[in-house]
Formats: sequence, C-alpha cells, structure tokens
Amino acid sequence: MVIFGASGDLTRRKLIPALYDLATQRRLPMEFAVVGVSRTGMTHEDFREKLHDALEEHRSGQVSEDVWESFSKSIFYLPGDSKKPETYEELKDFLGRLDDERGTEGNRIYYLSSSPSLFPTIVEHLGEAGMNREEDGAYARLVVEKPFGRDLRSARELNGDLRRYFEEHQIYRIDHYLGKDTVQNILALRFSNGIFEPIWNQHYVDHVQITVAEEMGVGTRGAFYEEAGALRDIVQNHVMQVLCLTAMEPPVTFDAESVREEKVKVLKAVRPIPEDAVDGYAVRGQYERGWVFGEEVQGYREEEDVAPDSTTETYVALKLFVDNWRWAGAPFYIRAGKRLPKKVTEIAIQFDPTPHTPFARGETQGLEPNVLVIRIQPEEGISLKIGAKVPGSGFEVSSVNMDLLYGTAFLEEAPDAYQRLLLDLMLGDPTLFIRADEAEYAWEILEPVMRAWSESREVSSYPAGTWGPEEADELLERDSREWRRP
Amino acid sequence: MIGETRSAPGSGPMSVEQIERELGQLRMNDDGTLGLRASVLNLIVVTDEESAAEVTRSVSNIAGRYPSRAIVLISDPEEEEANLDFRLSAFCSSRGGGAQVCAEQVTIHAEGPPAEHLESLAGPLLVSDLPVFLWYQGPFSPSSPEFAGMADLADRIILDSAAAEDCERSLREIAELLEEEETPAVGDLQWVQLSPWRSLVAELFSSPERAGELDRLTEIEIEHAPDGECRALLFTGWLASTLGWRMLNSSRTENGREVRFSGPSGEISAGMFPASPDAPFRRVRLFSADYGFEVARSRDLSEARTAVTRDGEPLAERTVHLGTFDLGVLLGEELRYRGRDEIYERALCAAVEALEH
Repeated sequence: MVIFGASGDLTRRKLIPALYDLATQRRLPMEFAVVGVSRTGMTHEDFREKLHDALEEHRSGQVSEDVWESFSKSIFYLPGDSKKPETYEELKDFLGRLDDERGTEGNRIYYLSSSPSLFPTIVEHLGEAGMNREEDGAYARLVVEKPFGRDLRSARELNGDLRRYFEEHQIYRIDHYLGKDTVQNILALRFSNGIFEPIWNQHYVDHVQITVAEEMGVGTRGAFYEEAGALRDIVQNHVMQVLCLTAMEPPVTFDAESVREEKVKVLKAVRPIPEDAVDGYAVRGQYERGWVFGEEVQGYREEEDVAPDSTTETYVALKLFVDNWRWAGAPFYIRAGKRLPKKVTEIAIQFDPTPHTPFARGETQGLEPNVLVIRIQPEEGISLKIGAKVPGSGFEVSSVNMDLLYGTAFLEEAPDAYQRLLLDLMLGDPTLFIRADEAEYAWEILEPVMRAWSESREVSSYPAGTWGPEEADELLERDSREWRRP
Repeated sequence: MIGETRSAPGSGPMSVEQIERELGQLRMNDDGTLGLRASVLNLIVVTDEESAAEVTRSVSNIAGRYPSRAIVLISDPEEEEANLDFRLSAFCSSRGGGAQVCAEQVTIHAEGPPAEHLESLAGPLLVSDLPVFLWYQGPFSPSSPEFAGMADLADRIILDSAAAEDCERSLREIAELLEEEETPAVGDLQWVQLSPWRSLVAELFSSPERAGELDRLTEIEIEHAPDGECRALLFTGWLASTLGWRMLNSSRTENGREVRFSGPSGEISAGMFPASPDAPFRRVRLFSADYGFEVARSRDLSEARTAVTRDGEPLAERTVHLGTFDLGVLLGEELRYRGRDEIYERALCAAVEALEH
C-alpha cells in the first residue's frame, strides 16, 4: 500500500492505527508492506518512529511492542515530490524490489491522502509510469479520500481525471462514515427484521428527521472550513449516505453493485430543489458566541483563520422529498451543524398518529405518535417511543421511550471504520465505497442550494449551544411539524 | 418494590459522552448484560446544597411510577471562579421476573459564570423525545438570570408558590409569567396540596338535592396557618372562578382577610383566618341560607372530617383519609399533567385580583 501524503494527519491518526489493529488480529498477509511517500525528508527508521509515537497517542489500548516490532518491518518511506515524474520511477523500482523481497506479487493499493488538488497530478503520473496496469492477476487499486470535488462540475472533472488512467472497478472512493459498524447497522436493522419493512414507507411514516450534530467548533481548521462549509463537509457525503441507507429499497444481495445501485436510485429520486425557491427548502446558519455544556465559546467569525464577515455556513437544514412509490409525500428533514448542544447522529422515523384513540382525551395527554430512532453515535442503539398504560386504577396512557444500546447487547467493541474499509479494500470488496455516479448525484441535489447561497450574503445566526437558527424551526413549522430534541 | 441506589465514583468535569457511558454502566445487571432502558420523562431540578438530599429522595420515590432521568442543578453564580462537578447515580427497582426499572440522576454543581447558563448543562443531558419537567424546588423567581434559558427547555414548570417568604409576590410573579406567550405549562405544588380539599368540598355538593346550594352560597370561612394566607386565597380563587363570582372588594380585617364577591344570588363573603397553628389548612366552611358545609382536619392531621348540616341539624358526616403530602407524592402528582392547568390558572388570577384590591 502506497500512501501519498504520508506525513499528514490521516496516516498517523487513522491509517497506521487501523493497519496495526489488523496486524494484531492476524488479518494482514505476511507479505503486506506500506510505503509512505511525501516531500518531508525522512529515513524508514524516522518514519517508523513517528508512527509508533502516533500509535500510542491515537490508539486506545496498549501497543504490543512485539507486534509493532514485526509490523514496523513492513513500513517503508520514500521522500519525493508527487509532482515530479522521477518520484514515480523511483517508487516503481522500490515496489519492484519489495515484490522480490517480500513477495507482494505486484499487488498495489495507491492511497491518495494528500491535498485534493494533487489528486489529478498523482493519478496522471501513476498512469504515465504504467503503475495503473493490472497484470498477471495482480491488482492496482486507487483510494480517493473525500472531498470528491466541491460541486458537480469539479466532481465530474475529478472522475474524468481518475478514469483517464484507472477503471471504475479500480477506484475506491472512501467515506469513512460507511465503514462504521453503526452505519452498516442501519441496513441490518432494516433488512434483517421482518417487522420494520412493511411499515417503512409513506403509508405509515409521517416524515423522517436526520440529525448530524457536533458540539465542537471549527477549532484550528478555520481555513479549511471557510472553503468547505457544512454542506460540503458533512451533508454531501455523510448525510447523503445516511439518507440513502434509510430510504433505499432492499438490495437483492449484499454485493457492491446491488447495494450501490439501490443507493443511487434514492439519489436519483430526490426531487430537485427549485432554484427560485431555495429558501423554502434550505436554511443555512452560522454559530455566534454562546455556551456549550457550561463553557463559553467564541462565534464562528471570531475563530482563527475565519473572515470576520464570512458567510460560510456552520449549520444546514434541508427539506428533501424522495419521489418514488415508497416515499412520495413523506419529507426527509435533514440538519447538520457545529456547536450544537451535543454530538449526536440520529435518524428518526416519525410514524403517523393512530387513526383513532379509544381512550378519553384527558387520559392521553402524554401520548405522542411512535418514533423509531436509530442512533449512530455516540452510544449506538435504537430507541422506540410507544404508548403504554401508566400503572394505577385509571386508564392513563403515556409515551415511554424504550432504549436499546447495541454496545450492551454485544460486549465486543466495534472495529474502527478504517479497519473495516482497509480490509475490504485489500479483499477487493467495494460495497462500502462510493461509486462515481453516487458522488455526482449527491452533488446534483445540492447544486441549486450552493448556487443560491453563493449569490447571497445572507446567513442566519444561532448562539453556540443551541439547536440552530430560528429559520430552521420555521422550515418545519410551515409544514405543521417540529424538530425533535435528539 | 425493592430498590437499590448505585453511585458512580466519578466527579469533577466530565463530557456528555462520559456521563452517558457511566450511566449505562450503572444500569448494568450483575451478569454484565443490560436490558432495555424505559423512560417516560426528564426532570430538571434547580435546588440548593441543603435541599439536594431531599430532592434525591423524592426523585428515587417516583422512580417506580415514572422511570426518568433527573438532572439536579445546584448553582452558585456568585463564586468568581468557574467550576463544574458531576455526580451520577441510578436508582433501580426490581419488578417480578428480574426486570428492573432504573431512574438515573445527574447532579451538577455549577459555580461562577456557568451557573448562569444552566440550560447549556441540562440541555445535552436530556433523554431525547421525552417531555421535560423543570422543578424549582424552593424559592423561585422568574427574573433569576438562568430562568429564561431553563424555561425554553421545559414542557412544564413545577413551582411551589408557598416556598418564597413573600408568597403574595410569588403568586403575582407566577400570574405574570403565565401571561407571556412563550411560557410553558406551569404546575404549583401549593395547588396540588389543595387537591384533596377541593375534591372533598366538591363531593359535599354532589347529591342532586344539594347541588343547587352552590348558587346560593353566602359565606365562606377558611382557617389556615399563620403563613398560609396565599393557600386560602388560591382556594377562594378556585371557588370564585369555578362558580362565576365577580370580586367586589378585598380588605384586611382585624384577624385576617375578607374578600367580597357578587354571585348568582347576591353577595358572598369569604373570610380567611390564621387560626391553625399546626397545619397549613385546618378547616373550610361554606354556608347557604339553609345549609352548612364543612371539611376539617381531625386531630390526626392525616384525616379529614366532612359534614353537612341543614338548619343547624347534622345531615351527613364522614371521616376520610386526606392523603399524604410528602414531597415525592406531590411531585408525582404534578408529573401526571402535560398541558396547561386552566383551572389553576383561573384560580391564581382570582387570587391575585384579591391581592390587588
């Protein structure tokens, strides 16, 4: 596995800890080798030492020195400028030597963890050096980290650049969100339980709310965030994936094409937001100074590397319709943002109220329609709100929340998302990776919103530590609904 | 039901995630498994150091009937330095078959500036989708710095208009609060304590031959504790608003207060006297031209004797259990209600009107 941009954060924080864990679980072949490439001058030994420190810092649990000792022998470093063709010649030779010495048999994974602006250059050089070719049964796979472009046009351009040298089956677009056990559990819940599927549609569901909330601000990532904003950073990828998994039809099998085909069908069915009425479907907000869990925090415009008159959104609320037989008429309300009261990712399926209540009105004050909440983080689980009789001589009926935390049903800890995805990558299973058209359709949905927002300087504000701007509340109030409190 | 209190050693600053994880651990069964958590409501309590133990007791008392999450906030905004301290506990009661019902409690001590932003601490700890009851245990003022933020979180606020030293001011403040459009529903523990009295008085008129006397009442007498005039006013307010009386005047008398009303059959005089040293409410008497009605505590304060006389002759009499006024029981009563209590609100308005005159 060749990692471009190996001196970066992702390698230290995610990739190496995940590979180390795979090594301890005996899931890495003995022949496996990692080659880090970046401009920083370092020896193999320097690189290994740096990664060892990072491992201790970022991985929970003890590092076994024996495993590390053996694993680190498969880690190598090659200093080089990814813009220069010589780097690739050198890399090609080096990989050839590894084939001989370690028996990697020509299998290659190129992991693009560098700045996105370098993706086309790296791909071009790999192609020109013939390193994209799959010969004699060996594979050559290309891993691309998000963002997949910053709008529809650039996403198409990027896909074009990648496919000039690699075929779609060689390209693995990674959104680590999909690697989370918890996200995959949405599919398990839906398609391994017979009781949910019959009611998983507009006949029984009033609407769906998806919340992806963080209590953190932008921290030191102000410069990055100014360019991205919540829509590009979270909604286009994570939220759209959650939407797809929630709304998709049951796939015939769990193979890559069946699953990804069904996901794409959802994105294709999303009703385009009319460009002249974006405000009726989308709200953007920016956090102001406020209090988050007992701590006073600064506003977005006061953050480091953020323009004092920035219009970048730190909060997005959307109303989407999935126009197909299953969901026609049942809206999906989506909100995602930073500096909200707590970190939580949840999908709430809000069912219709009962058609008739036989109990006296006074006895059902505390009764509300059923809600099924699929909680992805922090504590993964499901929660079902049901009506139940309050103990006593009357017939008072009230809503009860039944919470089941998965973590407590299964004592084994879920693997890190990268562990799962790196393993799938080596096994050549792209089910949990994003297909080119998937990324493009997700951009297409957001295109009218991005255009409208880029033309206006109006952005609503909300105090840090609250659930977003008033305009977001109004978005639902217009439909006689309200946001739930996650 | 057998109950057990479990506490986490954790204290000092914690994150929301840490708190949730620790609470999960507390609910764990002996074999390491953890069943479903059933909860029906969130209860936020704003209190002080001295009352914290009593609050905890009341919360664990209601656990069986209202499995819930309680967030107990003890705040001291006057401290200069910011300091936060968290303590976690779970009260689990076993039902048949080994199933257990747990009530969770997070106790937060907030000092300095965070104490003025209690909503930022309580909000993230609420169990999702469930109603939020905000209980001000002890004296309460809507003008306190943290109140507006806290009220925003709540579906219902539970107060005790009797807890403040100046209860007249307290009644006025609650009435003003209710006039504001954003105010959630309000419940008053002083009002809950009147509940058995109201039903006993109503029962005196339940027979068809006496029901008509409600329109012919001429005089009411209430004996209350020396500091219990507000309760008497609320009770009178209830009668007046329910029976459609219009207030004429209200005045202090030598030995109490007199409020005069105009009703369907002329004037009604309501006298309130601080003649009950040992109970907040001792006796209520109502008179029409022919009848006398009385509800009075018996010597055993937990019981009440009700009686009806006609032309001074006893007609009916009985002694009943008045109910218990334990804080946990009163709180449990208040948690039954979700929406606005219009009967209370009308009684309160009438009581405040009597104070204004």
